[in-house]
Amino acid sequence: MATLNFMVGQEQGNVAVTVLRVEGDIDAATHKTLQDKAAEVIEGGATHILLDLGGVNYMGSAGFRAIHAMTNMLADEESSGLSKSPYLKLLNPTEAVGRVIKTLGFDVYLDIYQDRNEAISSF
Amino acid sequence: MESPLTSTENRIDTLRKCLFLSGLQESVLSDLALKAETLRVASGETIMTRGEEGSAMYFIISGKARVHDGEVIWAYIEEGEVFGEMAVLDSEVRSASVTTESDSLLLSIEREVFYDALSTDPEAFKAVLHAVLKREREIVSEIKTRSTKLLSYQKEMEIGRRIQADFLPGSIPKVESWEIAAWFEAAREVAGDFYDVFKLKSSSHLAIVIGDVCDKGVGAALFMTLFRSLIRATSLYGCMDSTVDKADAAGKAADVLLNSILTTNRYIATTHAGSSMFASVFFGLLDPDNGELIYVNAGHEAPMIFRQSGEVEMLDITGGVIGLFPAANYTVETARLNEGDLIFTYTDGVNEAKNLDNQQFTEERILKVAAPEGNNTETFLKIMFDAVSEFRGKAEQSDDITMLALKYLPPVSAD
Repeated sequence: MATLNFMVGQEQGNVAVTVLRVEGDIDAATHKTLQDKAAEVIEGGATHILLDLGGVNYMGSAGFRAIHAMTNMLADEESSGLSKSPYLKLLNPTEAVGRVIKTLGFDVYLDIYQDRNEAISSF
Repeated sequence: MESPLTSTENRIDTLRKCLFLSGLQESVLSDLALKAETLRVASGETIMTRGEEGSAMYFIISGKARVHDGEVIWAYIEEGEVFGEMAVLDSEVRSASVTTESDSLLLSIEREVFYDALSTDPEAFKAVLHAVLKREREIVSEIKTRSTKLLSYQKEMEIGRRIQADFLPGSIPKVESWEIAAWFEAAREVAGDFYDVFKLKSSSHLAIVIGDVCDKGVGAALFMTLFRSLIRATSLYGCMDSTVDKADAAGKAADVLLNSILTTNRYIATTHAGSSMFASVFFGLLDPDNGELIYVNAGHEAPMIFRQSGEVEMLDITGGVIGLFPAANYTVETARLNEGDLIFTYTDGVNEAKNLDNQQFTEERILKVAAPEGNNTETFLKIMFDAVSEFRGKAEQSDDITMLALKYLPPVSAD
């Protein structure tokens, strides 16, 4: 069965940032695992998440739904009027995933970074 | 470790409780109980796997297990029930996998032991045969019930499919100087793709919509009806003033377009926020008198304008997919079609169609196959569909295929 692997790290920028690295394909079979993991780190106190997609070779629409659910979990009154989530950003998507992000226009909704340090200090 | 459950009396009790052996005499049960092995199995352990050979049957003394094939669960079994008996009786491979759901205690009896014990009592075979037949009758009855249920689900799906078809235009409006054709091929009985072509009430603009709701099946179909209806309703009965003069019509049409997309997006992103359902949508308003097309491309595959000159223009996205972020912004862009030009819009069932080697049809192949010159729009779409089908070969159509083409007809020569 397809699975996802996660690595969770803590970084201190202007705020505390939780770096969640995902490895595996995010599809209909695995997207819930990502959502559950995100819920777990958010329950554990994470307020700003940098989702590291460097280990994801495929992301279907279910993956984008899971990412949207993450922005919902992190949302508060301050973020509700914004067109971009200030609490969830993406790091280093692979070429294939980056192409889908661009086609669906997800880069309109989420900031995407190639450099980890730049991403952390952007929060 | 000595367990009271491993005493011969308790073993006999467990075997007697099992319907499969309930007809056996005490002496046979006692013989089996003495030769049975007790197994302690931790939760989550797979005791037997479908397709593998096996020589033992198991009786659950305590605990619970699921009978399954991979992730498909057929049944849960618990204390007093038996599994693995079929392969023991007919020596075929296991017909299902069994995995414990909790820490369990089992009795295991090997095929040889079972047949040896039965051979001591001629009545025993009859009793086991009766039990097996009783089970078979139960299975036949269960199959009948399930078949009836399945038939009723299939009928419901068929009704759903017919109702959903009503959410696609029954016919395409006739517009002077324009040739319009659509193609829709659902991958499943209900679909997430949609398209629409209709005239605005308050101006001469023609609305062209193509969309693809994420996911597949019933969920996508329900949201398809919502996206399609909201776009149509907000643009038909939205804010456009019927007294707009011609000079301002394009500006007002842009308002209609933007209002429709923004309202649809905001409604779904707030009312259905928890569903995280979204659609990629291309929505254009065409002025049929001059070929001016204003549009919003919300995260959809870029439509292609095939110029009569042979050039191709792509209408890239002007915003992200709709339905997720209430504060999303979209830009209205303008393109112009000249006489002889053809615009082709499609969903990812075309460019992402896969063959058995898992290769995709791709945008490059669309550009290669496209034959706008000398073909009417219907033929243009048929050539494209045939090329996709041929490319896919024996692979299953895994996504809906929707295509829409409009051609600005060149003026009829006076000769």
